[in-house]
Amino acid sequence: MSVAVGDTIAAIATARGVSALAVVRLSGPRAIEILDSCWRGFDGRLADAATRTVHVGILSAPDGESIDQVVVTLFRAPASPTGEDVVEISCHGGAVVPGRILDRLLQEGARAAGPGEFTQRAFIHGKIDLAQAEAVADVIHAQATRAQRSAQKQLNGRFSALLGRLREELIGFCGLIELELDFSDTDQTFADLQRLRGILKQVQETVSALLDHGRSGDLLREGVRVVIAGLPNAGKSTLLNALVGHERVIVSEHPGTTRDLVEVDLEVDGILFRLVDTAGLRDTDDTVESEGVRRARRALEGADVVVYVFDGTTKLLPEESSLLKELEAGIPRIVVANKSDLIVGTDTQTGSVISFSARSACNDPNELSPLLNALVAAVVPMVRDADDSPALLNTRHRAHLRAAGEALGRVEAGLDAQVTGDLLAVDLRLALHELGSITGEITSEDVLDTVFARFCIGK
Amino acid sequence: MYTDQHYDIIVVGGGHAGAEAAHAAARMGAHTLLISMSLDALGKMSCNPAIGGIGKGQLVREIDALGGIMGVAADRSGIQFRMLNRSKGPAVWSPRAQNDRMDYAAEVRGLLEETPNLRMRADTVVDLAVEDGTIRGVITQLGAEFRAGAVILTSGTFMNGLIHVGERRFGGGRMGEGASTGLTSRLHQLGFESGRLKTGTPPRIDGDTIDYSVLEEQPGDVDPSPFSFLSDGVSRDQVSCWLTYTDSSVHDTLRTGFDRSPMFAGRIQGRGPRYCPSIEDKIDRFADRDRHQLFLEPEGRRTTEVYVNGFSTSLPEEVQFQALRKIRGLENVHLLRPGYAIEYDYFPPHQLRYSLETKLVSGLFFAGQINGTTGYEEAAAQGLVAGINAVRYLAGSESVVFRRSEAYLGVLVDDLVAKGTDEPYRVFTSRAEHRILLRQDNADFRLTQRGFDLGLASAPRLERMRERESALAGLRSRLAADAVSPAVVNAYLESVGTSPIGEPERLVRLAIRPQVDTEAMLRAIGRHDLADVRIGGESMARLAEVEIKYEGYLTREREQADRMESLEEYRVPTGFNFKAVSSLSIEAREKLDRIRPDHLGQATRISGVSPADVSILMVLLKGYRVSRETSGGQDASI
Repeated sequence: MSVAVGDTIAAIATARGVSALAVVRLSGPRAIEILDSCWRGFDGRLADAATRTVHVGILSAPDGESIDQVVVTLFRAPASPTGEDVVEISCHGGAVVPGRILDRLLQEGARAAGPGEFTQRAFIHGKIDLAQAEAVADVIHAQATRAQRSAQKQLNGRFSALLGRLREELIGFCGLIELELDFSDTDQTFADLQRLRGILKQVQETVSALLDHGRSGDLLREGVRVVIAGLPNAGKSTLLNALVGHERVIVSEHPGTTRDLVEVDLEVDGILFRLVDTAGLRDTDDTVESEGVRRARRALEGADVVVYVFDGTTKLLPEESSLLKELEAGIPRIVVANKSDLIVGTDTQTGSVISFSARSACNDPNELSPLLNALVAAVVPMVRDADDSPALLNTRHRAHLRAAGEALGRVEAGLDAQVTGDLLAVDLRLALHELGSITGEITSEDVLDTVFARFCIGK
Repeated sequence: MYTDQHYDIIVVGGGHAGAEAAHAAARMGAHTLLISMSLDALGKMSCNPAIGGIGKGQLVREIDALGGIMGVAADRSGIQFRMLNRSKGPAVWSPRAQNDRMDYAAEVRGLLEETPNLRMRADTVVDLAVEDGTIRGVITQLGAEFRAGAVILTSGTFMNGLIHVGERRFGGGRMGEGASTGLTSRLHQLGFESGRLKTGTPPRIDGDTIDYSVLEEQPGDVDPSPFSFLSDGVSRDQVSCWLTYTDSSVHDTLRTGFDRSPMFAGRIQGRGPRYCPSIEDKIDRFADRDRHQLFLEPEGRRTTEVYVNGFSTSLPEEVQFQALRKIRGLENVHLLRPGYAIEYDYFPPHQLRYSLETKLVSGLFFAGQINGTTGYEEAAAQGLVAGINAVRYLAGSESVVFRRSEAYLGVLVDDLVAKGTDEPYRVFTSRAEHRILLRQDNADFRLTQRGFDLGLASAPRLERMRERESALAGLRSRLAADAVSPAVVNAYLESVGTSPIGEPERLVRLAIRPQVDTEAMLRAIGRHDLADVRIGGESMARLAEVEIKYEGYLTREREQADRMESLEEYRVPTGFNFKAVSSLSIEAREKLDRIRPDHLGQATRISGVSPADVSILMVLLKGYRVSRETSGGQDASI
């Protein structure tokens, strides 16, 4: 059950994706303690800070590596947004940093907040007017529906099959233990501990594989890095804007305006793309711009997919062709001939080059389809290569899997220490419960069902 | 009328539920009448002559801790005592006794007869007097009408009971006793829904015709543990049970009757318990097994009747007989009575509140098999809960509900009320998510104070609990304070396969090791002052050891229980309209409307109600609570 009050919850409070800043929020009795355990504030511990104060510090991973420099706002109960101790962490936006920070908080004992749970707590602590009860209920409903829809999407296919197998294994394991505890007065023979260990090991391996899978899993989880490159004024930023539908990047007719890398997130067919717009690739004397080009070349090196944009009203210059050839073999590249709306005649570009008008795409989403299809097609082989890659684990899933893994670790430790079955069952049930939070609740009735189906029970 | 016609509480039925209900109600001061079709059948063991078992033994300890009668009657009539699961963890240690069937019934009757405020009457209730949705009394076959403020119905398998033996079938509540008809249709009229369940019982055979020389003996424990916290151990000699097995020739013989089996021919509609299958079911479903174990259990000290546990059947009598004679040790057996199946009406228990009062008729309570359970212990537990709550109802006090982390009684009632059941419900330890908190060894710590406060548990019982509590505390503080030197304890540690110590170590640090049996260790190091602390025949060192070894788990479990049970503080007001809450999922709206949970904790256990639905309800119920406080009890408009 994920609706208990009294524990400490955490969530990314801002919309995912396109933003320079994001806010990760903690609420509950351990909020301050949890933050203090994973950050170093420049003016000391948050525990010593007064309510309604702002602090700066470094939030870091368990190994000490810095995740981000963050700004933290502290509200002590009861004068806080939820009525509990609340810590709001302002960090850099985008797909990675807020997710890593949330992960970190969960590692320290926070629980991923359920749909509308902050609002619900605010309500319970009298922070929201009674008349708003229905509205709050609707918020929870809407968020739950959305979360369910996206979970559904993520649970399709391989990931779901893997979890299903885990679930079966664990229920079976649990069934064996319960059989021994509840039916030992009948003439059943019980599985030996070695076999139980075998099952446990298998399940644990799958859990850690899910948590820590290879590159393709990262691609899907953290996003496919798409670098948009091209000569100055080829229309890269316009293309990017068309893709995300936001005026995120400053667009200018003057070449060389985009001096820094700009990242935005885009989800296509369930795959997260992180689009990187680079400064125009051209040697320059302008110091700021040359720095931009240096970064762009570096960005190209880390690209999973390169989208190369050139001015379709001209031909692909020889140096552009050689730049494309310079790119590491095996990195898919999509060549876009932009400004098709300005092209007169039909004999311009054919073959693997996509003809496109970024400017009209801003008004007509269909204009984007060929490019989006090409992006997905470029990723599919990468994903397929890594055979064991389950698709798209979100933070909440990872938190549950991690908790399940920890509980299973305790079961293993219990087996080593030769504790009795009733104690093994405590953590086994916890693992089932955590897994059930992803796949749907697993009840004691499910476990009994497997026992009744597999064993001849009863005197 | 020549007899009292007005009572506070009437209990209909004198089985395990009825006996416990009547005793509890009368002890708590209610003027109580128990009506049973036959007073000779009070406390009758219709099926196996045994009390307790895994999960069930814990229930008996809880009933006893609260001041009920089952544990006392079982101790007095026990002929063999065993603590099941002793090699497993203490959370699942479960006391079980073979009982003398006749003695058990006599003890129950005796205990009821000596209960003040309790009257009994042999009669059959044929109708209920209900006015304005409130129970007023009962009407009997003999034409008497008894008035009461509360009625507890514990009619067991008697309502439209139908007995099957092969192709023969006839009405009856137990072999040799008539069924009760009429009440079901009266309850239908009042708006209750009913269903059909089935259970079975094995043949009884004459022990003088058993060849014990070829059977395996199963004696009782050398150090038997009684059920009741008030008992000072078991003194009488114990009787053994005997083991034998079926084989493929037995199975082949049984199969010859399958075409006349009421189960396989579809003449039995009711659903039977999966964990207590008939022998024909076992052979059919587990065809790969070439033998099944049977327990031959004596029915008493003064009878040769033997119960063939594991051989429940409704096959034709001659098939039962031929098959029995193919079993090792039973080649010349004489059949006293055949096994049979019985179908009966039950009322799906989602129609009840946590007090076991029906939602439809105020003051009418259901307990026992009528609620879809099976087992004497489950029945007695419900009888106790209904008895207590009928008294509370009359007094206008809040009902007594046990939490799932507090007692198996709570798990049982919550499972029934929150989820309902469509097969005969039996308690299992795996049904209790907080199993390690609900041990047979701490039932009195969990419940006796509450039983005393309710006027149910006696003063000596409370005294015994306190005595145990302080002995335990004393022992634990000694174990925590006293150290032992390597020279003294290492021999013991090595003998049980755990590493020796290099420095003196406090006893508690050693007791925590899984391999260490604290009582044995204390003896080995000469600390008899600690090893020999016993109360009521129970070793306190053993109890201390459980608490020490489990400590980390217990703390974690208690925290989890507290978190989950915080939801139970969200009460659902009477008349709350789930269907009008449009933000709930449609499935949740329907399920909630059907089951009508008493509180949010119950709502979480209804299948189809998601965590989001619960969050929504939490908000709305919080709103309700606030609005009641501010508007002086007006109905919430949400």
